Amino acid sequence: MSQAAQMQRQDDQGLEVGDLLETCRSALAAAQALQREAEAAVARLIAPEGKVEGKAVMREQFAAHGYAWMATYVATLTETLAWADKLEERGQLRAQERLILQIGFGEYLAQLAGGIAMSQGELVRPEDMDVGSDAIDAFQNDASVKALVRGGNTNAARMRLCALLVERFDQRDFGEAGFDDDTMEMVRDQFRKVADAHAWDAHEWHLKDDLIPMAVVDQLAELGVFGLTVPEAYDGLGMGKTAMCVVTEELSRGYIGLGSLGTRSEIAAELIRLGGTQAQKEHYLPRIASGEILPTAVFTEPNVGSDLGSLKTRAVREGDSYKVIGNKTWITHGARSDLMTLLARTDPNDSGWRGLSMFLAEKPRGDDATPFPADGMSGGEIEVLGYRGMKEYEISFDAFEVPASQLLGGVEGTGFKQLMATFESARIQTAARAVGVAQNALELAMGYAIDRAQFGRSIVEFPRVGGKLAFMAVETMMARQLTLAAAREKDEDRRCDIEAGMAKLLAARVAWSAADNGVQVHGGNGYALEYPISRVLCDARILNVFEGAAEIQAQVIARGLIANRLG
Amino acid sequence: MKILCPVKRVLDPYVKVRVKQDNSDVDLANAKMAMNPFCEIAVEQAIRLKEQGHASEVVLVAVGPQQSQETLRTGLAMGADRGILVKAEPAPEPLGVAKILKAICDKESPDLVFAGKQAVDGDNNQTGQMLSALLGWAQGTFVSKVEVHDDHFLVTREIDGGLEQLKIGRPAVLTADLRLCEPRYASLPNIMKAKKKPIDNYTPEDLGVEVGHRLTLQKVEEPPARQAGIKVDSVGELVDKLHDEAKVI
Repeated sequence: MSQAAQMQRQDDQGLEVGDLLETCRSALAAAQALQREAEAAVARLIAPEGKVEGKAVMREQFAAHGYAWMATYVATLTETLAWADKLEERGQLRAQERLILQIGFGEYLAQLAGGIAMSQGELVRPEDMDVGSDAIDAFQNDASVKALVRGGNTNAARMRLCALLVERFDQRDFGEAGFDDDTMEMVRDQFRKVADAHAWDAHEWHLKDDLIPMAVVDQLAELGVFGLTVPEAYDGLGMGKTAMCVVTEELSRGYIGLGSLGTRSEIAAELIRLGGTQAQKEHYLPRIASGEILPTAVFTEPNVGSDLGSLKTRAVREGDSYKVIGNKTWITHGARSDLMTLLARTDPNDSGWRGLSMFLAEKPRGDDATPFPADGMSGGEIEVLGYRGMKEYEISFDAFEVPASQLLGGVEGTGFKQLMATFESARIQTAARAVGVAQNALELAMGYAIDRAQFGRSIVEFPRVGGKLAFMAVETMMARQLTLAAAREKDEDRRCDIEAGMAKLLAARVAWSAADNGVQVHGGNGYALEYPISRVLCDARILNVFEGAAEIQAQVIARGLIANRLG
Repeated sequence: MKILCPVKRVLDPYVKVRVKQDNSDVDLANAKMAMNPFCEIAVEQAIRLKEQGHASEVVLVAVGPQQSQETLRTGLAMGADRGILVKAEPAPEPLGVAKILKAICDKESPDLVFAGKQAVDGDNNQTGQMLSALLGWAQGTFVSKVEVHDDHFLVTREIDGGLEQLKIGRPAVLTADLRLCEPRYASLPNIMKAKKKPIDNYTPEDLGVEVGHRLTLQKVEEPPARQAGIKVDSVGELVDKLHDEAKVI
């Protein structure tokens, strides 16, 4: 019997796929073949002479970014199958995990050929990457691909998955994450409790545009959040990025602000750990780990966002100190923080990234009335839709003084490279935040849908509602697995800039669509400020923008993969 | 002072209790389990007594299946010092547990046993009292406040009529009520430390205890589903129905 026929021969729940794992494995091979074709085609477009050309990348951006998305999808399928294999091996692959795998494969395989939504208004197809018709046909005619596209993401499968999730909604069981590690499970359970305890208050903080109370910051400090990945030699916990993902996801599931308090500590600690002098490590790392020092990241400028290498803020050496002059913006937690990781130009003769240096610039904590009580420093709040709780600021520096000893690593001109070295970690952390936000949206929407009755039945029974919820669970799990895979790479000290970028790229889109569909499930109530899903929508929107906008992320992934190919 | 805290693994109190298809018992397959909340409160109080300098060691003991080790780890991650697992399946009844705890007390010689007032699965509310009788120690149940003095404990008990203060000689068995304290979250450093804390394993036979099962579970049923209500047209009809059908007036 053909695989397609096997899938047709479904039981009444429409989900019996004989050898699902093997079908997925063979479909994945076909997807990888399509990816290779796309890679060759895009390489011809952007590196016609065997070397990536800036002008060509600019002209062929849509195709190149499309390829980045295709590669992200294939990586996601790879990690999702690896997850299912692991569960199967441990005897933990239940009906719900099988359905997640089946639906995820069915949908993503279909999109690979039919069109991937890079954003809601931009669908990219293999044809856009100049992939030949033969290669596309070969992919679409592959028996396993066909079987999964036809029988994977069916209405029946989605409704069965939704029913299983509803049945175990009280247990918060949306599919086994697959840690197989008691410590990680305990960490998850504890931080789930912490997040639950603050979830309702968090909505109030958001509505009032309040800073997250200091008592909560202190609580997270005591629980060890800020020292999670700091090495034990510097009084941290040295727990690694996988643990960071678990903690970050759980906190973000309660509120993105809780999951983001640690972001700046993570960035500052990575900067210092990788680029700092011994004295800087010894002084700052223990204090960041304990939460005594709250850092803030001061990179972006009014006219410089993604093109960070071109920033204008100057740091001029005068005797034993530098005078900083210039404007910075989008400084999260700018007022209530003690240490700026500040990127500025020390070499005015070099207008590119080689002229930049990173400073560990201390500042006094400010408050709403006086956000920046320091000489040579002024600024104000930028009001924002969501991602509140730490607040955003613009800051002007007018001869703000930084002692020369605060130059990170003690060598000028290395700031950009030092920052780049932290991107892997920061992107993994942001991907985990996105997974948490997606999960938050899913749980809120499912809770609402179960309770909400219309036309005499719970709305969760309607396929357009239940199906949305099921697919939210599928994509959230897939984004989680991609994120955890990137974290594992990082923990094993392997270069993972591309993997981290992919995780961030996918998870941010997943969070946004989960939040958007979450509002849709709530109907008009979802648009009311009093319902937390309205906040989640605002919070989710930032994820595609910050820590490398989706377009920059795709650019980096595409260039990286093509450059690797060309060697 | 050494404190011994018995901790029980129970169905997570925040999940729905399901009955097995054949009504033979509560369905625990794939159910989320957790430390009994009253045990958690007792552990928290014991750790606080240690932090305040009243106690030198907090020892946890779990009686139940192998997975009770997770419950012990949770308590160790809160800050307890070490654990003892007495593997016993099926779970012994309160008297069996009390006998096992008595044997552990004989080995460990604690100055205080701080237990939960009851476990939220069976709601028996017996083990602490039985243990106190077996040991011949004083007991203070439903404790909402405790003060440690050189030769006694001053405890406040939550009783039906209000609050009762008792001066209890040492050693003693105390059982924690809901308002005693609020359990902490396990911090990441403590979760990491807990991995290295020792857990000793015993069976009831090792301890020379004959557990004995005296009760048989006949049948477990879900409470009847709530029936839909009706609307009445007048006060008179309401009164009639309350009198004739509901028989409440």
